[in-house]
Amino acid sequence: MITAERKPLEELIDYVKPFKRILLLGCNECVTVCAAGGRKEVGLLASGLQMALLKSGSNIEIKQHTLERQCDPEYVEELVPMIDGSEAILSMACGCGVQQLATRFKDKPVFPALNTQFMGASERQGVWAERCQGCGDCVLGITGGICPIARCAKQLMNGPCGGSTGGKCEVSEDVDCVWQLIWDRLKSLGQEDRYVDIMPAKDWRSGGGSGPRKIIREDLAE
Amino acid sequence: MQNTNRPQTNNDKVLVVGGGLGGIRTALDLAEAEKNVVLVDNDYTIGGLMTQLDRTFPTNNCDLCTLAPHLSESGRQEYIELMSMTSVRSITGEKGNFTVSVRTEPRYINEDKCTACGACHEQFPECVRFTPGLDHRAPTCMRYPQAIPQAYSIDLDKCEDIEALVNCCPAGAINPDDMAINREIKCVSVVLSPGADLFDPSKLDYLGYSTLPDVVTSLEYERILSASGPTNGKLLRPSNGTQPKKVAWIQCIGSRGIQKGAGSYCSNACCMFALKEAIVTKERFQEDIETTIFYMDMRTFGKDYELYLERAKDDYGVRFLRSRPHSILQQLGSDALTITYTKDDSTEQHIEDFDMIVLSTGFKTSEQSRQLALNAGIELNDSHFPVTDGFNPVATTKPGIYVAGTFESPKDIPDTMVQASAAACMAGSDLPAGKKTARKENNITTERDVSGEELKVGVFICDCGDNIGGVIDVDTLAKRIQDLDNVAIAISEGHGCSRVSMEHIRKTIEEENLNRVVIGACSPRTHLSKFQELIRKAGLNKYLVEIANIRDQATWVHSNQPENATSKAYDLIKMAIASVTKAQPLVDQSLPINKNILVVGGGISGMTSALRLADQGFQVYLAEKSDTLGGVAKNIFKTLEGDNVQTFIADLTNKVENHEYIQVITRAIIVDHSGMPGMFKTGMQVGPQMFYRQIEHGVTVLATGAIPNPTKEYALESCNAVMTQLETQKVVNQTPDIVKKWDNVVMIQCVGSRIPDNPNCSRICCQTAIKNSLAILEINPDARIFVLYRDMRTYGFQEEYYQKAREKGVIFVRYSKDSPPSVNPAGNQVEVTFTDVILGQKVTVTADNLCLSTGLVADNDSSEELAMIFKLPRTADGYFLEDHVKLRPVDMPVPGFFVAGTAHSPKLIKESISQANAVAARAQTMLARDSINLGAAAARVDSKLCASCLICVRACPFDVPFINADGYSEIDPAKCHGCGMCVSECPAKAIQLMQFEDDKILAQLEEIFDKVNA
Amino acid sequence: MKKFEPVIVAFCCHYCAYTAADMAGSQRLPYPANVKIIRVPCSGKVDALHIIKAFENGADGVYVAGCLEGDCHFKNGNEKAARRIDYVKKYLEEIGIESERLTMVTMSAGMGYRFAQTATEITEKIRKLGPSPIKTAITQ
Repeated sequence: MITAERKPLEELIDYVKPFKRILLLGCNECVTVCAAGGRKEVGLLASGLQMALLKSGSNIEIKQHTLERQCDPEYVEELVPMIDGSEAILSMACGCGVQQLATRFKDKPVFPALNTQFMGASERQGVWAERCQGCGDCVLGITGGICPIARCAKQLMNGPCGGSTGGKCEVSEDVDCVWQLIWDRLKSLGQEDRYVDIMPAKDWRSGGGSGPRKIIREDLAE
Repeated sequence: MQNTNRPQTNNDKVLVVGGGLGGIRTALDLAEAEKNVVLVDNDYTIGGLMTQLDRTFPTNNCDLCTLAPHLSESGRQEYIELMSMTSVRSITGEKGNFTVSVRTEPRYINEDKCTACGACHEQFPECVRFTPGLDHRAPTCMRYPQAIPQAYSIDLDKCEDIEALVNCCPAGAINPDDMAINREIKCVSVVLSPGADLFDPSKLDYLGYSTLPDVVTSLEYERILSASGPTNGKLLRPSNGTQPKKVAWIQCIGSRGIQKGAGSYCSNACCMFALKEAIVTKERFQEDIETTIFYMDMRTFGKDYELYLERAKDDYGVRFLRSRPHSILQQLGSDALTITYTKDDSTEQHIEDFDMIVLSTGFKTSEQSRQLALNAGIELNDSHFPVTDGFNPVATTKPGIYVAGTFESPKDIPDTMVQASAAACMAGSDLPAGKKTARKENNITTERDVSGEELKVGVFICDCGDNIGGVIDVDTLAKRIQDLDNVAIAISEGHGCSRVSMEHIRKTIEEENLNRVVIGACSPRTHLSKFQELIRKAGLNKYLVEIANIRDQATWVHSNQPENATSKAYDLIKMAIASVTKAQPLVDQSLPINKNILVVGGGISGMTSALRLADQGFQVYLAEKSDTLGGVAKNIFKTLEGDNVQTFIADLTNKVENHEYIQVITRAIIVDHSGMPGMFKTGMQVGPQMFYRQIEHGVTVLATGAIPNPTKEYALESCNAVMTQLETQKVVNQTPDIVKKWDNVVMIQCVGSRIPDNPNCSRICCQTAIKNSLAILEINPDARIFVLYRDMRTYGFQEEYYQKAREKGVIFVRYSKDSPPSVNPAGNQVEVTFTDVILGQKVTVTADNLCLSTGLVADNDSSEELAMIFKLPRTADGYFLEDHVKLRPVDMPVPGFFVAGTAHSPKLIKESISQANAVAARAQTMLARDSINLGAAAARVDSKLCASCLICVRACPFDVPFINADGYSEIDPAKCHGCGMCVSECPAKAIQLMQFEDDKILAQLEEIFDKVNA
Repeated sequence: MKKFEPVIVAFCCHYCAYTAADMAGSQRLPYPANVKIIRVPCSGKVDALHIIKAFENGADGVYVAGCLEGDCHFKNGNEKAARRIDYVKKYLEEIGIESERLTMVTMSAGMGYRFAQTATEITEKIRKLGPSPIKTAITQ
């Protein structure tokens, strides 16, 4: 899932201040699951913006709406009947959603309300952690199901650096050394030999190194 | 409530004497099983001793919050006739046909008219406060705020101006001509639970209780800590009103035969009571106060009680001194209380000053209840407690008369609740079969469909005498309300909850065709259900009414600012109107019940529950995983009291196996489970071929037992001279010749219990050691027996056997957790070395038999599996966890599940039987109905909005929501507890809590700020 | 100008705080009329959105009253509520509302005195803070 966090209110106020009527748009997908941009957050942000603006003497009309997914054009199409009432859109989706809106509504300013963070997994209620960087060439089969690219600060591919102490990363006591985790897991699986194999230098082209990526499923694509 | 018009002729009642917690439980269990009950109490309000407690162990909950719902529950029950201020004069006749003569003292107050407004106690302020032991009783007294009957009583002798008193009542409820009434009640069985008194230490002058104000009893200390107590919850020294810095508790006052007039028994609950008080004291004042407990043995033998003791020691820093100080002194001119004591490791005398000393006084039967026993014709033992059946502690020497609670023997609240339910089971089964009283038809009018109707809110505002009317002008308020949007009618309604007004409200609703109702009155906590019933009678869905609490929240608290009170009452009513206009008709959840019962576990507990329920005509399936019935008790020969366990089991097994309504399924392993409360399906694999079989049932009883602790400590496996208490018992009973050859026997207590791996006490071992010691001495009087113990926990009457063992020469030597005895096998014997604290040196005994008290542990293999299949919680040490450790000790948190016996925690056979009987009573409360009503306050998911994010699944404290096959969150209304936590955490706003929907709350908020925004 | 009278919303849980309020009533313990109670089954039911809405509507103060620690009728609703209050307080600061205007309190059902005392203290605190900046902005 894509995770995100709300931008500071101050930044958002600067975006919307010039307008009289805006549409605050939530997304019922990833950002709802990570409690950043669902119906509830839309409500909280609408009230918060309203109050903050009121304090500075301005008053705008904020229309609230939440789409099933902002990153699909069909869902975005739902906005057509209501969009004329708003001068600008403040989107509480990830960057994909924001761009989808900007593509569809060429004459409306679209602003992001969130800072999109990472592809992550839920550790427990209220905690999400980075797990994947979309490198396009998955190594999890070799590394015991634990990703050294997403979870090593240096993205080392062949064992830990000298900063790994007591299973922790030198970046922070709270960060596990991913290579320690990989080693422990390989050992428990009886696959220590995997660790010995040297991985060649990573080819980052598949990870976006050669420009924006696109997937085309020939059978589906029209 | 007091004198219903029910005819006295047909004899289909159970009489319950005593309206304490136990009596209420008994009465409720019977009533909920649709059996008629007369509940008699000689006090002016029910609730008993528990109403005086501030918080209870081990949860440290406030009791008023937990008890109060029970009281209003019993106040509402149509099967209970409540007679307060009533005492039993005599009981004649036999089981099935008793005649009880009772006398009701005059209350001088008409309960039907009394609204509990408190005007009388306001105008006679010196008469109102209730502070038992610290203050004098008053002529009018409502003992605690949630009292039932919610009416005052008057002691006319103490009143000087009767006329003034009569005139002060706005409801005209005071009647000085009220007279005592004598009545006769016919009943089939009787339950006596009049409770017990506490030992009075005032005659023991060396404790200074009657001369030193800072020496108080534990109950008085409790009242001082209580928010509704004499100091409003402030801990102050009675002598000078300052906060004490050092408080000490002295245990066993009036118990264990210690002082003059003391009972020879242990009072069972005082150790936990003192711990609780010390913990609460430390919680409040922390480093600012020192707490010390002087004790002989810390008897924390109940479920998880040992953990409570550890918490007191380690987390709260309560100091424990094993010492029994003789006296409490005060030097002339000093306000300190001085105690002289010795510690257990030397003879040196320590002198220490304290600011307050609490005497942990034990239980004693009261003069009144002894008289009651005499009137009832039941036998009492030397300690004046009833003589009861060795295998059924609620059965007295007289058939048809049962006892429960502290009147039976000293005990704490959970054990009282268990016995109360057990007594309900026994007394209820004496009712003639099929004579179940038919549920009253309420002639309910059909519910009107109000959807599509224009909103028509009717507002009825009570004056509640002067309580509301004396502060604000209700008529003027009603006129202002009348002008609000959606309001069809707004009128003042006098005493809205009086019969006359209720009838008027009902008529008005019908005549004016109202579709929403607001009552401006008192608290919805006490009155909402009453008005819900009312509007239902008027043809409206019961969730279309709202109460504005203008009495408790406005006129009572702003009585000297009528203007503020008026505007707040106006606002509160407006909020209620806004809320009720958003209210939608709701349907109470109810489910049909399958009346079959599945009992899992064929030990004594399981068999007892099965038998009781089958005797009531319910079909029982008894599943046992081994190939025979009887359980662990098959290895036990006699009880401490000498009753023959083997004969008992044989008889019980025979009855169970031959009962027409019991199907015994041995070699049954439970493998799956599904369904809802009242309609479960449980699958099992049966027999050597493991055939799959599925049972449909409405109730599940877990009686899976515990197992002997399989510890291997102290050379248990390698040396023949080392055995467990169970093995020793077998030798004693089957091959006494071997016992005759024993010169030295050593017993080690707490083997495998009270250690980090298994922190709790196994409860049964101390009495087992005593039992086996006495049995060994019986066979071989010359044997020398050493019992190495940490605390002797011979609670209740077991204490008398402990004394007897000491008299017979059994040597008891204490050891500490840090220096356990050491064991060295020597051929057929074993050398046991331990430190004798009194001699101050190591002693070695060459024992012919080293007997280890290994106790019980939860059978993790089976209970873990079952907990997963049935989705039931367990304690950290693997026992099943009941719904409420104090008030619902046999009900599991999932409705329809009950737990009995050692599957719940280690306990004695007779305690297991009580619990099994209690389960039978509780199960019958469910089985009496054809369906269960689950209320309407449940969370509801809108699947169109749900993002399946799992936040509700994780937020729910009861694990109810789940993502269903369609991929959306689903909340089973039958399992939802209605807290709303999922609602407030849902990021998609996809969940609403019925009765507390968001739009109702937002509507109230908008009303509050109407003026601001206007 | 009229003397400032704060408007304060108290979300009270049914099992403890609301009962304590009733108790304050039955013991006739006066507290300021500024406090308006909204009854909820559990303090854990109080939605961040409702708190924010209260301020948006012009509340000068809001408090959530639950059971004492460890006493929650629903196991841990009061702990959840306390965490939520801390979170909303930060948001209030971001909006430009003093976070002291929002408080979590706990009490047992028997603590009528505590209820009245809390209501009085909070009202006084809010009185000192003056009208909420939002209310000021609305009325201007």
